[in-house]
Amino acid sequence: MNQDAKKMANSLYGRVNAPAVERCRVNFCTDLEKSVLMSNFERRAWNQVGPDDEWNFYWASTQTCRNLFSVESGYRMNDNQIINHFPNHYELSRKDLLVKNIKRYRKELEREGNPLAEKAEVVLHGGQVVTRYVHLDFVPVTFVLPADYNMFVEEYRKSPQSTWIMKPCGKSQGTGIFLINKLSKLKKWSREAKTPFHPQLTKESYVISRYIDNPLLIGGKKFDLRLYVLVTSFRPLKAYLFQLGFCRFCTVKYDTSVTELDNMYVHLTNVSVQKHGGDYNNIHGGKMTVQNLRLYLEGTQGRAVTEKLFAAMQWLIVHSLKAVSSVMANDRHCFECYGYDIIIDNQLKPWLVEVNASPSLTSTTVNDRILKYKLIDNMLSVVLPPDGVPDVRWNKIPSAEAMGNFDLLIDEELIEKEEPSGHSRALKTKYK
Amino acid sequence: MEGRHEDDKKHTASKLAEEIKALAVYKSLYSDVQKLASSSIVRKDDFRQTLHQAMKDQGLETKFRNTIYHLVKTHSNKNKDPISLLTKASGQWEKRIHKSLNSMCTDLETALAKTRPQSEQEELLEKWNELSTYTLDLSKYRPVYAPKDFLEVLITLSGYVPYTREDEPKWEFAHLPLQVKTLDQLRKVFPEWANGEPLLGVNPNMPSSVPGFASLEAERISLGERVAILGYAPVVQEYLKKGSPQCLRAKLWSQVLGSDIQASHLEYFAQLKKDVLEIDLMIDKLIFKDVQLTASNDDQYFVFEDLLYQVMLCFSRDSEVMKKLKDSIGNPPTVTIKGKQTSADSVTVFPPSGIIPFHGFSMYATPFCYLYDDPAQLYYTFRSFYIRYWHRLHYISTHSQGIVSLCLLYERLLEANEPLLWIHFRNININPIRVVFKWLMRAFSGHLPPDQLLLLWDAILGYDCLEILPLLALAILSFRKENIFQVNTIQNVDAVLADLSTISVIPLLQLALMKS
Repeated sequence: MNQDAKKMANSLYGRVNAPAVERCRVNFCTDLEKSVLMSNFERRAWNQVGPDDEWNFYWASTQTCRNLFSVESGYRMNDNQIINHFPNHYELSRKDLLVKNIKRYRKELEREGNPLAEKAEVVLHGGQVVTRYVHLDFVPVTFVLPADYNMFVEEYRKSPQSTWIMKPCGKSQGTGIFLINKLSKLKKWSREAKTPFHPQLTKESYVISRYIDNPLLIGGKKFDLRLYVLVTSFRPLKAYLFQLGFCRFCTVKYDTSVTELDNMYVHLTNVSVQKHGGDYNNIHGGKMTVQNLRLYLEGTQGRAVTEKLFAAMQWLIVHSLKAVSSVMANDRHCFECYGYDIIIDNQLKPWLVEVNASPSLTSTTVNDRILKYKLIDNMLSVVLPPDGVPDVRWNKIPSAEAMGNFDLLIDEELIEKEEPSGHSRALKTKYK
Repeated sequence: MEGRHEDDKKHTASKLAEEIKALAVYKSLYSDVQKLASSSIVRKDDFRQTLHQAMKDQGLETKFRNTIYHLVKTHSNKNKDPISLLTKASGQWEKRIHKSLNSMCTDLETALAKTRPQSEQEELLEKWNELSTYTLDLSKYRPVYAPKDFLEVLITLSGYVPYTREDEPKWEFAHLPLQVKTLDQLRKVFPEWANGEPLLGVNPNMPSSVPGFASLEAERISLGERVAILGYAPVVQEYLKKGSPQCLRAKLWSQVLGSDIQASHLEYFAQLKKDVLEIDLMIDKLIFKDVQLTASNDDQYFVFEDLLYQVMLCFSRDSEVMKKLKDSIGNPPTVTIKGKQTSADSVTVFPPSGIIPFHGFSMYATPFCYLYDDPAQLYYTFRSFYIRYWHRLHYISTHSQGIVSLCLLYERLLEANEPLLWIHFRNININPIRVVFKWLMRAFSGHLPPDQLLLLWDAILGYDCLEILPLLALAILSFRKENIFQVNTIQNVDAVLADLSTISVIPLLQLALMKS
């Protein structure tokens, strides 16, 4: 054994590395003690600490995250600390802000004369002709109430037969949602909301969106998609799509008749809503995997349309992220996993319904638990450098193995490297 | 000698001609030929030659060839079982099933067959597309039998063993005087797989060996599209050996099975629906129960629940199924329909299809939901598959593709190729067929994820045989053998084998077939 080899053996087996071993023990803190989280932390032999201790990894609630980043808290993170939210995630996850950002993004592109902002006339169901963006028309027409009431009425008059869906801006899991198909119903609602008996309602703003009344049905039932998107940076944009999303089915047949307008089991796919329906099944929980959706569509509708649909969904995700990338506080300590809710219509066009910054980690079925466990596991290996210790100085380019079930959606840094001159062209070839 | 050969050919041809004349499609085929013969393309002076050419050009020849192909494929085996023991056993088993049905009827105070009251007919019709909302009290209904009951019957078949030593297990199928293939012989059945030729389902990005294609998948799609346009069943069958891309599968399967929908099919399907509405068979409840117990609880199939009710109910009324399988499925009883005036049609074969469903029977149909969303199209492909293959998996026969032979094949393969596993099973006193029987009987439906299952069924169609099922069972066992060696109760072996969601069927099978 020569000198060098001996040295190496010593450093491998000797006492020299003690500090490194010490450093490898990651301290984590969590606001949420869900089993899919805890079992992942345990498997990595991480050490749980409190929020006031020296943590390296914080699985925080959005509120905690905002507090940490607020000026008053005065908290300064070091290079070995990362956290699972961006401080102003609501730019993406609040229904009203998302729409506002997307509208602004389109306008900006239009001003630049970017071909992405191309517009064309389309014929609606009722025969009316309206102007829509060709490539960026992926959110149903939406207005914020009460602020945009007049604009809404103008749009409503173009097709008075259509149905609209009202959602409170800051609520989730289907609470406070209702459908309307008459202007009078909206007026009645607004009168009631303003009565002195409900002063709290007046503060709350709503979004009103054109209801997708021609959803794609499978087995006669409506469904929506839940896809998971991981963002590790907004500028440059680095985003990953989890392959194992799922479809959430309504338990009852889809029915557009007016009598069923108030039956939320027909219209809302949220598990939190469907669970209370009499037909909810505990074994599958009304969930089918996205892989099986793809198999079904390819088998029954063909390959080209299926590929186009899945490409359109990636396109939609990328552009919704680009729409907020300029306004996001791009702190390098942050990463975030978003739950994208998408509805596919019967023309196989995907519509972005909303984005959730704290997608549920509760497992409703065995397969659900497996999926969410993998989600957390893969997410950790994407956001952590190869040595497994949080480090914001790392270039955030995970290896192919580290990505697990995540696919790279976009990495502007890599695109920049590949094609320094025209990065927008590289994107287009990839996503069109 | 030569002359006799010619005579034979003539004889077969005239026999086939007779059979074609008896088919439902004959009329339309005949009128197509008539139309063609009277067109200007066919010349009187060279009638034979020009007609033949015209038939070729118009695709009629392919139609004829396919008709004969499908006729030959579904030819029922006229020879009765040569082993009297099995004939007797299958007769006794059939009697037990009928007895059990009858006693269930007595217990539940209902009839095997009765007319459906008008109000019920209307409700059923109204809910035909959402039968999951059709409320029935099924709490007292139980499946007539489950795979494990059927296995018990099969195991007793070997009970006639003339002499066994004390220490020898008494369960081996090996004592049955049936011929099954060895692994080497199987390699000759699946030469493409055994030679390691590129197959779909191994790696989606596998490069193509044909220039101009980015991947094997792209190459297969392009070839498959051409095969589908040609539409000649034997070519489609050949193509399926190496796997079909999902986007072409629906088309190719219906071509190889001759289940393409024609107007007469739709009429017939509507008639089956009418039969369901009019007559209430006790079996309907069993069908509802079966779909509820299986597909409705399965995250891969629950979405298709309503489609399955329709398909399975119509299947039970389909007397063509019985006609085609009359030599393989025994003698279903004839029962009087309660509430009908005594006449020629106040009796019915129970059920008209002759097939009594067992627990999990609907799983034979569920995977087709990933190919067809139209109930009629789904129905005919499923029915053809059943008539060609699935009935062999739950009727006792000595047929080389029958369940008994498949069990024996599995046993022999295991003993010869995984001797340590064989000994382990013997040591822990577990009959190795017990841990795989439900896979075989359901052709892995409900056990494998649908994408994998469809690849497996491609091979069944492509090689026109079911021997791939015991081979896959063996391959899975040998893949998980290290874990099986660790356990010694049947519950734990079952647990090791319970989750097949990570199994890649094609690589596993190819590995088993390729010489090491």
